[in-house]
Amino acid sequence: MKVTAQPADSTLTLILDGELDASSAVVLDTELNKPELLKYKKVLIDCQRLSYISSAGLGVFISHLQRLQDANVKLVFFNMQEKVFNVFEILGLDSLMNIAPTQEAALAA
Amino acid sequence: MPNIRPATWLLALATGSWLVLLLGTLSQGRPLLGLPPDWPRWLLLLAQGGFAASVFLYVRLQPDALHGHGFLPLLRRLFWRGLVLTALMAGVQGFVKLAAERALPLPGDATAAVGYTISLALFIILLAQTLYVWRSLVNFRGSERLQREWTAFELILGAALLFQLLVWHVPDLLLLAVIVGLGLFGVYLSGHQRWVAYLSQGQKVQAIMLQLGVLGFLSAFLFVLRGAQHDPILLAPPTQQAFLVLTSSFAVFYAVAGLLVTLFNLPVADVYEQRRAEILSLQQLSQIIQRGQTAPEIYQALFTSAVQTIRADAALLDAQPQPTELPGASTTSLAHELTPADREAIRGQLMALQVPDQREFLDNDLARSQRLTGLSRPYGSAAVLPLRSSSHDYGMLVLLKKEQSGFDPEDLSILHTFTTQTVLSLENLQLAQEARVSQRAQDELRIAALVQERLIPKRLPTDNWFEISTYAQAAKEVGGDFYDFLHLPGQRLAVLIGDVSGKGVTAAFHTAQMKGIFHALMQPNPLAKKERERYPDPHRFMVLANEALTHCLERSSFITASFYLIDYEAGGFSFARAGHCHTLYYHSIKEEVSYFRSEGLGLGILRDASYGRHIKNQFWDYNPGDVMVIYTDGIPEARNANGDEYGEDRLAQMLSESFYQSAEEINRHIRQDVQEFSKGLPLHDDQTLLVIKFKSAQPQG
Repeated sequence: MKVTAQPADSTLTLILDGELDASSAVVLDTELNKPELLKYKKVLIDCQRLSYISSAGLGVFISHLQRLQDANVKLVFFNMQEKVFNVFEILGLDSLMNIAPTQEAALAA
Repeated sequence: MPNIRPATWLLALATGSWLVLLLGTLSQGRPLLGLPPDWPRWLLLLAQGGFAASVFLYVRLQPDALHGHGFLPLLRRLFWRGLVLTALMAGVQGFVKLAAERALPLPGDATAAVGYTISLALFIILLAQTLYVWRSLVNFRGSERLQREWTAFELILGAALLFQLLVWHVPDLLLLAVIVGLGLFGVYLSGHQRWVAYLSQGQKVQAIMLQLGVLGFLSAFLFVLRGAQHDPILLAPPTQQAFLVLTSSFAVFYAVAGLLVTLFNLPVADVYEQRRAEILSLQQLSQIIQRGQTAPEIYQALFTSAVQTIRADAALLDAQPQPTELPGASTTSLAHELTPADREAIRGQLMALQVPDQREFLDNDLARSQRLTGLSRPYGSAAVLPLRSSSHDYGMLVLLKKEQSGFDPEDLSILHTFTTQTVLSLENLQLAQEARVSQRAQDELRIAALVQERLIPKRLPTDNWFEISTYAQAAKEVGGDFYDFLHLPGQRLAVLIGDVSGKGVTAAFHTAQMKGIFHALMQPNPLAKKERERYPDPHRFMVLANEALTHCLERSSFITASFYLIDYEAGGFSFARAGHCHTLYYHSIKEEVSYFRSEGLGLGILRDASYGRHIKNQFWDYNPGDVMVIYTDGIPEARNANGDEYGEDRLAQMLSESFYQSAEEINRHIRQDVQEFSKGLPLHDDQTLLVIKFKSAQPQG
């Protein structure tokens, strides 16, 4: 999986490309662990090319949820494929995390 | 008789012979010790021969002084010994001259005779020393045949001692012919100068000096002894002419030949030195490999060897990080005479070459090809070699030289040998590392499988109002599926199913924790006022479990679970879903298969009191004939060869085909279809499938 970071003003967009499994979760975790992440108001996760997410991948987001919330950084997912959304939904994360349909909606959220 | 070593005998014999020779020489022309003058010629020759033979044999017995390639120490020792012997001889001769000129109160002719005998002895000692040093050099890397030839040469020299003793009147011509023949043999032996090739340039110069010195000493002796024989005041006795001539001519000739060979070898010495450096570097590399060193050491060895051997003006080695981490390997980057900016420029320009094969080249004219430009100093030629095996890329090696055409094919071939060796050793290291990791992983898997196996309930609850069928299959990398039942008083049944995130030992550990939490929470509460409140309802169960897990689950782990409390007397069940797969249900009155789509957050995700708001308690009244299918995500996420998922729809379809059968038959119907779906593929996640079928209560007994 590839993680591309696109900083813009107060927003950081992370574009995920591929399958987020146990091995690629490490890459994402490194990215989310960067201290400068907390300088942004919003971290958007572009899930358009995210084809699969394993429990380890979900675990990365879950483990950073509290930290981002404490720093007042909003985490918003957008462009999620249905299959991936189902995983979020079954786990109940849709009630806990911001999942927007489009990038515009994510920016507005 | 005391055990006396042969060397001691030889020394005694040498001393005795020399004394006889001295007395014999003194007896020339005068009576001595009451014996008649002019001792017989054969006695003098015998004494001289005995002395020479014992000195030669004594030196021959000494262990070979040549150790490995220590030619210079050997020559140096010979030089110093020669110097001492020559100095002694010069002292003796000086004294004799002094005695003659200043008319010291000594019999002049007797002094000359003693001086001559001493000088002759010193000369023989020097010859013996020289001959056996030459022997070491001749036989260096020599064949067995050469050794036999040398022994023959020694025997002939020995025979020469007897020659003049036995044959009284040798015709001059025959003697000359024999001496010339043997001399030629000596010349042939002098051709064996292999040792010269093993000297570096500096060593060759030293060797020439030392050989000149030895030649000088030999000449000095020859000059003095020849002069002494014609000295009118010395009544010179006959000498072992043949032996001395043979030996000294061989000694001189070998020195001259060695001198010439060394001299002519001087111009090509640097080529030899480079080759030697290559060999040494290769040896160093393979030694490092054999010692099983770390990756950075192997990289360092390659880098040093390559730079030194090729005499590169600048160099860069970048290691490629490996999937199986070799400790310290990924950080290795070595540079020689390059600024950080240069390194970046080289990396950038090489990375810009899209085809990896283009990243290997030998460019002897960088100025014209415009490759590797923009460096702080201009370089004329470059060699770029990838460190690559068939399966891995370990990095690259860049060597730069200021001059054009700095690299020849020989260089490239040596560099290839270096890189191949390096790649081989890195690969070995990596294989060893992988074997260790995989061994550990296998051990973990065994433990995890064992734990999971133990945690699965061995006995299913049975009663006349339900049927239960279970199926559980662990994936190779054991996941964290679990389920459990508890038969509660009052015809109630608690069912828990769940899946711990992660795999292996950690998952198995959390599974065990979850099972412990289940049994702890399902203890009857003695303070409960009503019978129905003795056990926590599903909502409360999840909240308590979440709280318990908060203290033992790492932040990135979570657990999905569904908990059901089935009450036969009430004809219904309550349940809560914590992020687990939706329950599949067959409704016998509506004759309909559907999922209970309810909300509920997984355990361990929210770790405060707010969790309770994300969990819902649900109730359902069941009818006999209803079927509940509870499973883990390994079932709907099972994949076929195309990567498609099995899916909830197909699962529901299976239930609608088999709901009328027994729980066991329904279970079998579903799992056979799942197995058919992902036929021939390894399980990528645990699969658990529970089927509960409600029945009308049969009268007991």
